[in-house]
Amino acid sequence: MKKIASILLFISLSCAISVRAQDISQLTAQCAANAGDVMYLKDFIVKLDAGTPGGAPPTARFALLLSKSVVYRFSICTAPNSEGEAVLQLFDMNTLLGSTFISATGKDFPYFDFKCQKTGVYHVFISFKEGKAGDGVGVLSYVKKL
Amino acid sequence: MVKKLFYILLAVIMISSCKSGGDRSADSNFEVPDSILNQGLEISEETMQNVVQNISSPVEMAALIKELGVPYSNKYLSSTTRVENLTTSFKQSLNLGIYGCDLGYLNMYNKTSSVIEYISAIKTLADEIKVGQFFDFTTLKRLATNNQNLDSLMYISVHSFNQMDKYLHSNNRSNLSALIVTGVWIEGLYLGTQVVKEAPNQLLAERIGEQKITLNELILILENFKADKQYAKLINELMLIKNEYKDVNIKIEKGEPEAIEENGMLTIIQNDKSIVEISDDQLKSIISTTEEVRNRLISL
Repeated sequence: MKKIASILLFISLSCAISVRAQDISQLTAQCAANAGDVMYLKDFIVKLDAGTPGGAPPTARFALLLSKSVVYRFSICTAPNSEGEAVLQLFDMNTLLGSTFISATGKDFPYFDFKCQKTGVYHVFISFKEGKAGDGVGVLSYVKKL
Repeated sequence: MVKKLFYILLAVIMISSCKSGGDRSADSNFEVPDSILNQGLEISEETMQNVVQNISSPVEMAALIKELGVPYSNKYLSSTTRVENLTTSFKQSLNLGIYGCDLGYLNMYNKTSSVIEYISAIKTLADEIKVGQFFDFTTLKRLATNNQNLDSLMYISVHSFNQMDKYLHSNNRSNLSALIVTGVWIEGLYLGTQVVKEAPNQLLAERIGEQKITLNELILILENFKADKQYAKLINELMLIKNEYKDVNIKIEKGEPEAIEENGMLTIIQNDKSIVEISDDQLKSIISTTEEVRNRLISL
């Protein structure tokens, strides 16, 4: 009987993972659609635990190659069950280029456009406000050539 | 006994419901050369994943070509009649990338009649390397056949490739992912160089010149698998192209980024600029070597 219970537990967990994959897949498609009349290129899926009090917020980092003379759009979407709100930031080495949340004004943007003038490796950082836990998706889209 | 039957029945129902939620299961029976399994990676899988992200896109070169007003031509495409001859995971993965790039080009020009031929080839190769479950052939075929919802066709095509790539990384099969990425890249470069050969364009020439950066990243990735003869041979082929790039200069002009908010939309303007210095002779050499290398790779 224990064996059957273990199998059932395993199946339940597998199903939960499958359901989560479906939810994330839908969120990705929704996020790509919300980006507007642009062409989807890449997604960055994150699942982050809550940070420790006083510590830096947990952050997922992705390296990506962007091309000169292209306008890219970076979008962010937070899964409905998340405790926090996802924020996407774009870095060139240590320089912050853009963010979906401007802390100085407290303003959120569902996406921002980046007019790329330099081909190279950039980094996308995704975290949740105040280091809260959450699931989210960042989407990179192609807007047009500059 | 009744309880036991109940549990078994419940298990069957749960398995069925899992399956109906989308077949995302994957067969772990795949072919990886022994030489690779035995050698171990020189850098961690996590680092590999970080390096590979977005190194080549199956649609970016095609998007640029279309925006430049260059008409569609099927002579740039790799023939799908070779699929049956691709019998190793090495060839299947490399050509999966090549056909993926061609599919991006076809989608960009809404050539839906040819799209079906390419998605069939891709599905066959993806199944062979056990990642076919991420390629929604039925939906893609329906969208292409009905010639409708072309944005969805493009989204599902690109998303399927991203899903395959993620799956290969998370299952310690970065070696195959590296081949797909290489296939996408070489076909994209071939496409760009063939177009610029016939219709010279400064922006496209610059984009080709910038591939020096991408090529270096790509070779860095492939070198992790060079203990395998096939990978070593592939690296040697790419080194021929790299050699043509040795005198192409890329300079950087520094500048501060600007943020502009207009009509509720945020736009970041980068004022760092990369400037590509590529002569006509250098471009000609790159065009010709790329053509030779790409044609050898598709005839492997």
